[in-house]
Amino acid sequence: MSRLPGFLRRTFSPHNEEKSSDESAPSSSPSSSHHSSSNDNDVDDDDGRTHSCATTRTTSTATVASTTTTTAPIVLRRGGSGGRQLRAVAFPPLPGKIIGGDDDEDGGEGGRGMGEGGGIDDDEYDGGKKAMGAGGGEGGGGGGIIGSSNHAVFPSSSSSSSSSSSSPMTMPAVPKTYRERQFDAILSSPIASLRELRKLAWNGVPLHMRPIAWKILLGYLPANAGRRETTLRRRRDEYRDAVRRHYDIPDNSRTNAEQETLRQVLVDVPRTAPDVPLFRDPRVRRCLGRLLYVWATRHPASGYVQGINDLATPLLAVFVGERLGCGVVVVDGPDDDGVDGGCAGIGIADVLDGSRMASITDGMMEEVEADTYWCLTSLLSGIQDHYTSDQPGMQRMVMRLEELVNRIDAELASHLRYTGIEFMQFAFKWMNCLLLREFQLPCVMRLWDAYLSEGDGGFEDFHVYVCASFLVHFSPTLKQMGFDELFQFMQNMPTDDWGDREVEILLSSAFVLSTLFGGSDAHLNVVRNTI
Amino acid sequence: MSTRADEEYDYLFKVVLIGDSGVGKSNLLSRFTRNEFNLESKSTIGVEFATKSIQTEGKTIKAQIWDTAGQERYRAITSAYYRSPMTYHVATLKIRGAVGALLVYDISKHSSFENVERWLKELRDHAEANIVVMLVGNKSDLRHLRAVETDEAMAFSEQHNLAFIETSALDASGVDTAFQRILTEIYRLMSRRNMAAEEGGNQPRLSTGQTISLNSENKPRKNCCQG
Ligand SMILES: Nc1nc2c(ncn2[C@@H]2O[C@H](COP(=O)(O)OP(=O)(O)OP(=O)(O)O)[C@@H](O)[C@H]2O)c(=O)[nH]1
Ligand SMILES: [Mg+2]
Repeated sequence: MSRLPGFLRRTFSPHNEEKSSDESAPSSSPSSSHHSSSNDNDVDDDDGRTHSCATTRTTSTATVASTTTTTAPIVLRRGGSGGRQLRAVAFPPLPGKIIGGDDDEDGGEGGRGMGEGGGIDDDEYDGGKKAMGAGGGEGGGGGGIIGSSNHAVFPSSSSSSSSSSSSPMTMPAVPKTYRERQFDAILSSPIASLRELRKLAWNGVPLHMRPIAWKILLGYLPANAGRRETTLRRRRDEYRDAVRRHYDIPDNSRTNAEQETLRQVLVDVPRTAPDVPLFRDPRVRRCLGRLLYVWATRHPASGYVQGINDLATPLLAVFVGERLGCGVVVVDGPDDDGVDGGCAGIGIADVLDGSRMASITDGMMEEVEADTYWCLTSLLSGIQDHYTSDQPGMQRMVMRLEELVNRIDAELASHLRYTGIEFMQFAFKWMNCLLLREFQLPCVMRLWDAYLSEGDGGFEDFHVYVCASFLVHFSPTLKQMGFDELFQFMQNMPTDDWGDREVEILLSSAFVLSTLFGGSDAHLNVVRNTI
Repeated sequence: MSTRADEEYDYLFKVVLIGDSGVGKSNLLSRFTRNEFNLESKSTIGVEFATKSIQTEGKTIKAQIWDTAGQERYRAITSAYYRSPMTYHVATLKIRGAVGALLVYDISKHSSFENVERWLKELRDHAEANIVVMLVGNKSDLRHLRAVETDEAMAFSEQHNLAFIETSALDASGVDTAFQRILTEIYRLMSRRNMAAEEGGNQPRLSTGQTISLNSENKPRKNCCQG
């Protein structure tokens, strides 16, 4: 990220401002890691043992420390200074319990490694790469697992928070990070505070809490924990009913428009995230096709527009992950010799590689499909005119992006003008697919943690700021390029090696832009002076 | 922006790929420019772009090929925003200034052939008047699934005065020929026009690297966007 213009680079540091200068904490969620480093090791589980899964915390941080600075001129934190305040709250050590965890037997060598990876940093969950690097690579690909939670009821139901503590089956679990316990507190309270949840989720939702957090943030699950179970049942029934009425009908009773929709959906399903094995799974494809078709027929003003298929993929992957216990780490009981058992669990990479689909029953798949349908519906309802005739929302966003880039990086803007490339030519796709074509799924999920926390404007207003930061990030490179090169570059932005960290830098700079440009021009000069 | 030696060319032609979604436009492009085929390529959103230079009649011609999204929704954008000069948008951008169009259908999907008429109308409404159009029946490898007979397509193209070829992006047959032929055709048409226009001895050659257009609306590139 060394190419980040000064004002963007600097903005990342606010996240770090509260850590003491001699401590190298992970940047992705410094406040929580900071806290957890003092907390984790004394979190005991039920039988009073202390697990040692969180020993290598500091190793993951080395690379980041150098890119951040502790002298941030602007103090910014989404939702106020939440981290600092919450720190003062006395959190009782939560018992780490895993309910129905029947996967604890794949511990062993790999398991332990993963557990260590998990203990390192509560935000290191992007599929192994980093956790392995940090934890010494013992995990064998399963890295990126975070500590367990009593929310993670798996694989039976997603509305887990209410029932967790009553389980007869109590497993010792990996100590939770401070951050996870914050999530725990919110998600398991009788009425989840949306405000608190947003505040926390903006900085990233722990892997295994993402399904429930997203469902609540999207308004699919009610904040009232007591009503979640019934809501889920009702909505899933409703969806099943819709499938019966719209999808499971003979082709000759479909209208012409519906037949065209079906044709297009069927053309697109095999072309959806084709590089992700999960989406080559026949059941996943069927479920994707069905829910897209049902959505389209029930939303005729928009209908099926290419790109909506892309938007369904993070949701589907997260909800499949939920059934696979993604992110849930279970610790074996103590061995005879008294040594702690290994930690087991799977990460996003294991979900996306599709290798575990055999353990997903058809019944689960049906529920995943319904959940995806409703969450997609909710997401799209917030950005309705992006896909209606003429796509006015898209036009608006591209125009705003251009305006923004004109202001924050006039040199780049004039270079783009000079070469003759139009914003519409490269940014249309960024808007239409919400950067899903630009980033790998784990990065998109992290991005969406923040978008969903933004409330209504996340997928529109805030997205534009993210796009602006994204473009400006490559400014030095882009300014060297002519039309052809530019166009090729934009078609295939080099983000293959991006992880949560890079996404978070993007989010931070987008946040700065949103505070500077949100609504008024008053701060224009500040930015001019900073660049 | 510097023109390196290996990029030198005599002419730059803008060619657009149009046709229903899924007929294989993007794969034709990747086969021609990179010799790649992808059975599960993502749908094109907006517009994509690639270039390749070819030799014809002793000249180096650089083709700037614009691959477009096939879905109806994006076509709706075309007609709606074409009329409004204030609003730029994907579809007109890619069609405007194109001197050639490959209008692609899928030989295994009759509906994609039926829609050719609509695509022609699209071109009549939005493209340059003298645009060279070639009808391309793609997926010729799917012999057992053929739904559009070669004769039928041939008759159609004669009737509409279009060039015609069948291709397979999958096994590469016809792909290079299709691009070669349309570029050569454009080149000839252009030379004839230039010859006619410059009768009396002014050199008909365009300077190296200049974008040409079949009508007189030939603007330098840096002026081509609305501020
Ligand atoms: N058998 C066969 N399949 C092909 C051929 N060309 C393309 N395909 C397949 O047809 C599907 C669609 O191809 P694309 O190139 O993405 O189609 P497109 O016209 O660009 O579609 P849009 O971008 O949605 O407008 C893909 O699965 C391709 O692999 C071909 O020549 N033969
Ligand atoms: Mg395409």
